[in-house]
Amino acid sequence: MLRLNQLRKSFGAVAAVDSVSLEIRRGEVFGLLGPNGAGKSTTIGMAVGLLAPDSGSVELEGVGPPTDPKVRAHIGVAPQALAVYDDLTGEENLRFFGRLYGLRASVLRERVAAVLEMVGLSARSADRVGTYSGGMKRRLNLAAALVHDPPLLLLDEPTAGVDPQSRNNILDLVRELASRGRSIGYTTHYMEEADRLCDRVAIIDKGRILALGTVHELIERHGGKSLITVTRENGEDQRIETADPLPDITRLLAPGSSESVRAVRIDRPDLESVFLSLTGRSLRD
Amino acid sequence: MGPIWAMAIKDLRHLLRDKGAAFFALVFPLLVAFFFGAIFGGGGGGGTLRVILVDEDGSPASALFASDIAADAALRVTTVTDRDAAAAVVRRGDAVAAIIIPRGFSDQADQVFAGGSMQVEGVVDPARRAEAGLLTGKLNELAFRQMVRTFGDNEKMSKALDSARISITAATDLTPVQKGLFSVMFDAVGNLARGGATSQADGTNPLGSWNPVQVTLSEVTSERAVPTSAYQISFTQGIIWGLMGCVTTFGLSMAFERSRGTLLRLVVSPISMRHVLAGKALACFIACMAVQALLLAVGVLALGIRIDQPAMMLVAAVAAAFGFTGVMMLMAGMSRTEGGGAGMGRALILVLAMIGGGTVPLFVMPQYMQTASKISPFSWATIAMEGAMWRGFSMFEMAVPVGVLLGFGVVGFAAGAWCLRHRTL
Repeated sequence: MLRLNQLRKSFGAVAAVDSVSLEIRRGEVFGLLGPNGAGKSTTIGMAVGLLAPDSGSVELEGVGPPTDPKVRAHIGVAPQALAVYDDLTGEENLRFFGRLYGLRASVLRERVAAVLEMVGLSARSADRVGTYSGGMKRRLNLAAALVHDPPLLLLDEPTAGVDPQSRNNILDLVRELASRGRSIGYTTHYMEEADRLCDRVAIIDKGRILALGTVHELIERHGGKSLITVTRENGEDQRIETADPLPDITRLLAPGSSESVRAVRIDRPDLESVFLSLTGRSLRD
Repeated sequence: MGPIWAMAIKDLRHLLRDKGAAFFALVFPLLVAFFFGAIFGGGGGGGTLRVILVDEDGSPASALFASDIAADAALRVTTVTDRDAAAAVVRRGDAVAAIIIPRGFSDQADQVFAGGSMQVEGVVDPARRAEAGLLTGKLNELAFRQMVRTFGDNEKMSKALDSARISITAATDLTPVQKGLFSVMFDAVGNLARGGATSQADGTNPLGSWNPVQVTLSEVTSERAVPTSAYQISFTQGIIWGLMGCVTTFGLSMAFERSRGTLLRLVVSPISMRHVLAGKALACFIACMAVQALLLAVGVLALGIRIDQPAMMLVAAVAAAFGFTGVMMLMAGMSRTEGGGAGMGRALILVLAMIGGGTVPLFVMPQYMQTASKISPFSWATIAMEGAMWRGFSMFEMAVPVGVLLGFGVVGFAAGAWCLRHRTL
């Protein structure tokens, strides 16, 4: 659907994005996971034609590069900043953005109503956005990317700073959109979101993609082994690293050996482990 | 046109819903207009006409007529002794007209009972013919006031004359010659009354069309046109403040879009930067026109200010709106953030508005300030509007400020668009 090929972008001496290549396939949720300042937003900026790459190319499959305004009509973007107008109502915001994408009259009315319903803001559609909560603004920000019903969505940290309820709403909505065949590029620094949502994930740090694959593949390749921690009755902890925890747990809890076990904890590798393994740092550092 | 119109509607909504911006673009200019108009004397001295009076005759009759003129509440009279001095005052625009009571007035006054009329001369500014017309009427009114008691009723006049004739005939202390002279005079007066009455087939009073004062007007072209009402000045000033409100509001809107992130959404939509800029320009143009229309409508309808050349005013308003849209574009291009550069831009616009006639009317500024004010587009807008409202500009004279304003618009739009295209988000 969207192909980035050897993208490179520097700001002064700092290489914000360095040789990034990736492809977002039709109907998948593709995650770009990395800490703040890793180059996620710069990559999205080049993907939508906002920033001109120093080198490399961007191609929307079968349509062209997003520097062409007509190509951009196939993309919906939810920027990290809340790009909505506080002085307008939710409905007015969506009608305005819809008109920029060429939607007219009845189609515009239908799409605005549908999208407001989708993000759960129908009841507040006539209120000015300045009166919305942070979570509601986030959902409206996402709705503005959906109003023209694009086949490709690029969502830049769409859950930044929202309450758990709004976050769940947004994550559920993204999954639902993917199930309807939308291709979605999703940047985040929350590994739980990438884990829950993404079909494939690229780990990005300091402008470079360090690893790319499904969550399972990344963990398999870079996550290391699971860690079983056994706490004995006498308070001692025993740590066991294992690729497959089940046989070890079975053995530990077998009759005759389980009497001295007070507790067992299993720490499976996750994307945090993957990032730690690849960079030596935590995602939240 | 769809996206441009959508942009313009969005920005106009923003203007109307932003209480501060709406206040400074719409309400504050009205307050300025009313405030300055009131402290400058409102509608022009309570409707009185300022005239200069010259009594060249120096007779008791002319003195009586002059005192009647001076006592009239509708006139503010300054007396001078020399007709050239009086004409100079009119030429400077400090009086509507000069009234000259010429030599021979007294003799003419004596003949008025024989159907003659008193000759009075007036010197007026051709740009103020309306006031001159009012003045002529006023002079006739004053003359009638003296004469109507005697001459207003034909029947009473005839009876009085008959009675006088009988008395004269019966008089023993008059010589035949004196009686003959009185008889001739009474016949003349009687003929005037009776002859006039019978000559009117429709039965109207012949005195109704008879002017006891013949005012001969000559024109002197004013060196300097002056407004007939202080509100003509203050509403132009109000418009300047309104235009300033529009320029600063829309000039900051790009910085606003940038800082809020909405510019990013506009840029990634399938419209070009040209659409974004054109939308903002259209909104600013509409707002500038609306502000001017609002102030002029309030001025005309509520305060009765006069626009001498409405078509010229339309041209001036369109040129001002276009010019200030260009200025707005330049400010938008130069203002990267809502603080910093935008603050500088706002301060610069404020200074330009002040030296451009926003606080002190241009025509009362010292000459060097009037020259310096030419760098301000507000000054040219003021000149254009005053030219249409009360300066009596010809098409050629109007072409200068209009051309300059259009130039400001074109240069501002080009420079602003260049700046915006070369700014990163």
